[in-house]
Amino acid sequence: MRWLLRRCCFYVFALWVAVTLNFLLPRLMPGDPAGGMLARMSSAQIASNPGIIETYRRMLGGGDQSLLEAYFSYLGQIARLDFGISTSNYPTNVSEVIGRTLPYSIFLVGVAFILAFVIGTTIGMVAAWRRGGTVDNVVVPTMLALGAFPAFFTSLVAVYFFGLKLGWFPLQHAYDTELTPGFNYAFLESAFRHAQLPIIVITLAFAGGWVLNMRTVMINTIEEDYVAMAEAKGLPDRRVMTRYAGRNAILPPLNGFAAQFAGAVGGLVFIEFVFSYPGAGFTLQQAALGSDYPLTQGLLLVFAVCVIVANFVMDLLNVVLDPRVRTA
Amino acid sequence: MSAVATKPLLELDQVSVDYVLADRRVRAVDNVSLSIAQGEILGLAGESGCGKSTLAGAVLQILKPPAEVSGGRILFQGQDLVAMSREQLRRVRWRHVSLVFQSAMNVLNPVMRVGDQFVDMFKAHDRIRKSDALARAGDLLELVGIDRGRVRSYPHELSGGMRQRVVIAMALALEPELIVMDEPTTALDVVVQREILQELEVLKQRLGFAVLFITHDLSLLVEFSDRIAIMYAGEIVESAPSDVLFRHARHPYTNGLMSSFPPLSGPIVPLTGIPGSPPDLAKPPSGCRFHPRCPQCTGIDSSLHRLQISERPVLREIDAGHQVACHWVEGP
Amino acid sequence: MQPIGADEAAPSAVPLTVQQVPTARRRRLPGLPLWLRLLLSNPKSRMGLMIVFGMFAVGVLAPWLATHDPTAYSLLDAKQSPSWNHFFGTTDQGTDIWSQVVWGTRNSLFLGFAAATLATVLAATLGILAAYCGGWVDDLINFATNVFLVIPTIPLLIVTSSYLKSRGSLSMVLILGLTLWAFEARILRAQALTLRNRDFILAARVAGEPTWRIVVYELMPNMISRIAAAFVLVFYISLLTAAGLQFLGLGDMNSQSWGVTLYWAQVNSAVLQGEWWPFLFPGVALALTVLGLVLILAGLDEVSNPRLRKPPKQGRGMISGLFLGHGRAK
Repeated sequence: MRWLLRRCCFYVFALWVAVTLNFLLPRLMPGDPAGGMLARMSSAQIASNPGIIETYRRMLGGGDQSLLEAYFSYLGQIARLDFGISTSNYPTNVSEVIGRTLPYSIFLVGVAFILAFVIGTTIGMVAAWRRGGTVDNVVVPTMLALGAFPAFFTSLVAVYFFGLKLGWFPLQHAYDTELTPGFNYAFLESAFRHAQLPIIVITLAFAGGWVLNMRTVMINTIEEDYVAMAEAKGLPDRRVMTRYAGRNAILPPLNGFAAQFAGAVGGLVFIEFVFSYPGAGFTLQQAALGSDYPLTQGLLLVFAVCVIVANFVMDLLNVVLDPRVRTA
Repeated sequence: MSAVATKPLLELDQVSVDYVLADRRVRAVDNVSLSIAQGEILGLAGESGCGKSTLAGAVLQILKPPAEVSGGRILFQGQDLVAMSREQLRRVRWRHVSLVFQSAMNVLNPVMRVGDQFVDMFKAHDRIRKSDALARAGDLLELVGIDRGRVRSYPHELSGGMRQRVVIAMALALEPELIVMDEPTTALDVVVQREILQELEVLKQRLGFAVLFITHDLSLLVEFSDRIAIMYAGEIVESAPSDVLFRHARHPYTNGLMSSFPPLSGPIVPLTGIPGSPPDLAKPPSGCRFHPRCPQCTGIDSSLHRLQISERPVLREIDAGHQVACHWVEGP
Repeated sequence: MQPIGADEAAPSAVPLTVQQVPTARRRRLPGLPLWLRLLLSNPKSRMGLMIVFGMFAVGVLAPWLATHDPTAYSLLDAKQSPSWNHFFGTTDQGTDIWSQVVWGTRNSLFLGFAAATLATVLAATLGILAAYCGGWVDDLINFATNVFLVIPTIPLLIVTSSYLKSRGSLSMVLILGLTLWAFEARILRAQALTLRNRDFILAARVAGEPTWRIVVYELMPNMISRIAAAFVLVFYISLLTAAGLQFLGLGDMNSQSWGVTLYWAQVNSAVLQGEWWPFLFPGVALALTVLGLVLILAGLDEVSNPRLRKPPKQGRGMISGLFLGHGRAK
């Protein structure tokens, strides 16, 4: 339990680092991002958006406050969840924009990543158990090859084949653009249909890594004495594979799951971009291109928080699944 | 003393086990023949690396690649285990032949409760309800002197001695005819060792199982087993009833072993060791494998010496129930 | 006397039972360092090395391999599928894709290689330092590593590069290297820790060797294979990441690079118009290079962990040597 507390403290610290990084980065970059932005806008734009100078000054520096004063006021803002106003969606709040787009991403990642983990580790477990069998010789290299292709490439191929040529799946966006979001059947059905291809792509692209990881750990676990003992006891093959070897072998990959989550968030951005799927990742990319700094900063923080939460959930799961940790 | 009249429970007939490596085969067990009668305790002694554990694994057919049985038959109650199918083996294992592993530290699944591991085993061989299985597990724990509440513990919550007892309880659970014990007490301190062996004696009287007791500690075997076989570099070099071996050991290696262990009781005698170290089984010495370390291989008698370095000695019976494989013992 | 256990009348005169299975055909390459020989003998890493060297060769020979000027526009030739004139077809603006991919090899490989070097140097230095010094140094470095692992890299890179006014190669290499060092640092630290407690290090310390000597001459040589593996891993990750950033429009859009070609393909909705060639070829080039690196990595893994190795079967080809293994015991 003390270990959990230490992890908590770490996460709080990490969050603070993320916030501070957000604050410092634009001020450390060569050139003055705020000034650059302002220089690019016409005076008419500035006149019609009265708060914009203030927004930029606060977010990016160049104001008349000292660094320390600016820092504390920034911290205060974050604490109030005030991320400023999104310049590309003026006059919408950054928080609003994020609130609109984040749920789609969470849905995508939640389903797909977990699927990739489950499928990948199962394949890895079976492949290691039956070395030289069909799974090991055929499925594993296929998954690896699929994983070697960059996620955005696989998405493009998928869109081309399954979307365009075969017409099985919708090509873009999260839902039919004529529909309005809401908890009605038409919308939900459309959203589900549109999510299928991205989910499939993510699963295929990421499962490969789990397969390799689990397979390696499983190969080592099989050598353990308790597996030999289980076999000697005459237990059925499948039970030894899952309950004895697999159950122990899954612990390192599970820890890796948390670490991989940060990478998954990255992959998400690409996939959303390819599918023009209006999630947080797509929004981040558009914001970056459009130099909408308040939005990018807000999104970065949100992503960091998501990863931290995922890590924390993994830590909890570790305690549940590995009794040795509980008494440590 | 040897059970010739009744059919032996376990019979190893010229069994060889090889380790198949990338470019060569190493023979870890070389043409070993043994037999164990019902209810008999056969001790198998030898240095580390002589092939004893490999033999134990071969009996239960749980050897993993690169090890494989390359010759011979392993007959349990007349049936050859080497030739059995996977499913047949699974039914024989544990119910008829069980194994107490070396180092009980690691043979229990760390993420399962002790009781559940018993339940697994019961369910694999019988139709039984989980509650009944747990109850029987509790009984077994009490049998080996552990509080029955421990069925709910995880392995890491038990001490080394307790874990070894749990393993022994598991080996007894299905009341097999033969238990193979591979260094069951090596990792424990002497006091616990003695307790466990005494408990085993009592259990054996009650349940009547046979034991193949494998260890490097010859002094244990002398007190505990009916017959003893000595293994060196993958071969059996001597085999006799234990009291005969204790008093009239013939093979130079056996004698070397006997004098390097202080007996648990009796007068103080000076200790001697055996010079040199066990041979590399990938390149064993020519002729008698023990000859580089043997005090009887001196070259004084040139014809004997030539035999010792060029021909492998064969196990021959020199007395009732007493077999030795040694050129020097057989005489010129 | 009754010989027990011998069927023959007399003991056999053949002294030994160790059989010599003929050695699998192994190329004897005298003079090459051991690690290179090991890598070459492993079929996986052999194929990987060939692929990667092939790619480097393409980059070096680009001026001779390219058929057109990769920046030349020609609306007459626009949107052509692959043909003899244009091996990989043309883009919406009529530029030759083959030449773009060939020239792009230089930039893509350079970014990956340089970023990997920077990240590996950082990871090795910090990891070994943390392991060897222990105490607060270790805690500090650990904390930094964990923080970098928790903050998602792609979003961080996106945000950072959006602040950059110019996104030239140097800036890209810097931000990539400074973000990607974390996960290998952790692994290298773990390995350095196990080595640190080994007897030969303790012996060196007792003998009075100064710290820096121990680190450089005793510790590091034993970690070479792991550091090499770290480098290969970060290489392909930075390859992918750099291309990814370019794909999102956040790289140097004026350079020739695989990611840039892909970006223009996406922006011009090539896929939606049914034009597969603008994105297939750069993508395949990227995936092929990554595959080569992954294979090298798998080979390196097997070289350092013998348990993962499979005994080579005689007379089999390379493909089955790659994937065939032996089954489990009964």
